[in-house]
Amino acid sequence: MRRFRELVGVALAGLTARKIRTFLIMLGPILGVAAIVSAIGINESSKGDLKAKLRELGTDLIVANAQDQIGGFGSNPRIPEEATARVARLPDVVSVSATLQLSNIVTLPFAEASDYYRAFPVPVIATTLELPATLEVPLVSGRFLNDYDESSGARVAVIGKDLANEYGYMANEPRSIELNGISYGVVGVLDYVLLEPSMDSAVFITFANAVEDWDIEEPDPSRLYIRAPTNTKYVAEEIPTVVSLGGPDGANTSVPTDLLDAQSQVDENLNNLTKMMGGLALVVGGVGIANVMSISVIQRSSEIGIRRALGHSRGTIALQFLFEALVVGVLGGILGAGTGAGVVWLVSEMRGYTMILSVSGLFRWALVSVAVAVVAGLYPSNKAARLEPLETLRLG
Amino acid sequence: MGEPLLSLEGVSRVYGEEVLVHALRDVSLDIRAGEYLSIVGPSGSGKSTMLGLLGVLDLPSSGTIRIQDVEVNTLPDAERSRLRGQAIGFVFQQFHLVPHLTALGNVETALLYRNLSRKERRRRSLEALELVDLGNRHDHRPVQMSGGEQQRVAIARAIVAEPLVVLADEPTGALDTRNAANVMEIFAGLRSDERAICLVSHDLDVAGATDRRISMRDGEIVGDEWQGSVS
Ligand SMILES: Nc1ncnc2c1ncn2[C@@H]1O[C@H](COP(=O)(O)OP(=O)(O)OP(=O)(O)O)[C@@H](O)[C@H]1O
Ligand SMILES: [Mg+2]
Repeated sequence: MRRFRELVGVALAGLTARKIRTFLIMLGPILGVAAIVSAIGINESSKGDLKAKLRELGTDLIVANAQDQIGGFGSNPRIPEEATARVARLPDVVSVSATLQLSNIVTLPFAEASDYYRAFPVPVIATTLELPATLEVPLVSGRFLNDYDESSGARVAVIGKDLANEYGYMANEPRSIELNGISYGVVGVLDYVLLEPSMDSAVFITFANAVEDWDIEEPDPSRLYIRAPTNTKYVAEEIPTVVSLGGPDGANTSVPTDLLDAQSQVDENLNNLTKMMGGLALVVGGVGIANVMSISVIQRSSEIGIRRALGHSRGTIALQFLFEALVVGVLGGILGAGTGAGVVWLVSEMRGYTMILSVSGLFRWALVSVAVAVVAGLYPSNKAARLEPLETLRLG
Repeated sequence: MGEPLLSLEGVSRVYGEEVLVHALRDVSLDIRAGEYLSIVGPSGSGKSTMLGLLGVLDLPSSGTIRIQDVEVNTLPDAERSRLRGQAIGFVFQQFHLVPHLTALGNVETALLYRNLSRKERRRRSLEALELVDLGNRHDHRPVQMSGGEQQRVAIARAIVAEPLVVLADEPTGALDTRNAANVMEIFAGLRSDERAICLVSHDLDVAGATDRRISMRDGEIVGDEWQGSVS
């Protein structure tokens, strides 16, 4: 331990005696590590918001759309009501909601606005009662459609949050809207649905109303929302079969967060490229260390000779120079990691990212710098150890 | 007379590979405790070569070097270096102080890697500096000191580890008369019954100050005289 401390002391004395030179050879590791750390950090941080959003949404919601096996553009494919029940019974499925978007309905907050809303129709969606639960979206105010609404056929509606804002709807205000002239009482406002933004300006009614008031013969949905926290992927693959059971009614499924998930994946190619570039900077830095230290060994040959005369072995001399390289690598690594982290912080601040920085990554790259420096120090330290002391002492 | 502290037995040193230079030919020499000796001879006669071999800073082409009966030329480097550090103190014509270290730092260098505490190292180094009258200059760097002072620091560094033998190659060679005399006084003061001091010099005044004088020519010892009182 003493020996270790003494070696560090000798190395530090040698390095601080030549501050500029020491700083210059430290620049290689500093720049290399800083480049890698900041590039990876910025890359990760730029995806940070997406990742946070993804965590909020969960990645276990499946959307199944009805699909005609036979195809055809004009057709309006539907999923039979029984199929919905079959999907709900799948072991990994915790919640299913069925929806059907109704067409040709003009929705008005009041009669005078008809011109505008004829031009920009508001979607009307018939839905089962579990929708908020399946989508994991709360109500901003009021309540969602319930069993009583469904069984009694009461004309009530829930509206999306954007629509509520547009209508100037105030929480729990008794108010009705007109769907093709039929008056529906608004009972609640659904919060923003991140995965289905079109719902934010939609009107939700029960299937009972859809069958009663609009031209729907069967309460069959065209779309299912399925929450399956486990085996999401397999459930999604299974659903088309469960829906069709070999019959003509088909469905295709997707996991909407998959796209986000893909977007939130850090570009590995880019990361590898930056690692390569930073690695190159480190290697060049290492060559610099080897180079400058070799020159240093020649300039300090008399010091080496006298140390040998004082009883330091070849091994000790080698270690002394290896420790100088080690100190350069350690300090360069720490400064580089610190600089890199600083750059990531700065860029994240400026661009409003959520900063993501792996501490173990900082350590890892600092260690790489240490390794590079020590390898670079092998040649000069070996050279120093091989010097013949008498030859170095003969001349001034 | 006691056992030799240092001895060369049939030592030769040949330099070069194609053109061979026989710097030392079959030399035998014993140095005992309490001796104060000088090695004289014309330039190129092999004085420095012999001094380097006495301190096992170099290895012989043939022959044996012993430090207190231990055959050192066949030891591994680490062991040989350790023995050198314990038994030998070197002083050179060029003082060879490490320029970025203070006087104290230079002297302390001789006590590194010996499992001494920092405090102990410092204490002993200051003591050695005081012995050469430079206790008050301990935090000066070599560039801030005169040649004579630098050589005194080098002497302090050579003796701080309390070596058996002090080997000095032309220690006054780079100094003016006054500083040279001062350095010689220090050497005279270092004489003790446990220690031997061996100086290489051209200077007849230097050689004249020692008890034993070894003369060399063409890599051989051609004279070994005792002068003055022999203890
Ligand atoms: N590394 C070497 N390679 C080749 N020849 C060498 C080497 N070192 C010394 N010599 C030769 O060995 C001989 C003895 O050299 P040495 O340095 O021992 O002489 P010296 O007596 O100390 O001379 P001086 O009084 O000039 O210092 C000289 O001829 C020298 O040229
Ligand atoms: Mg010489």
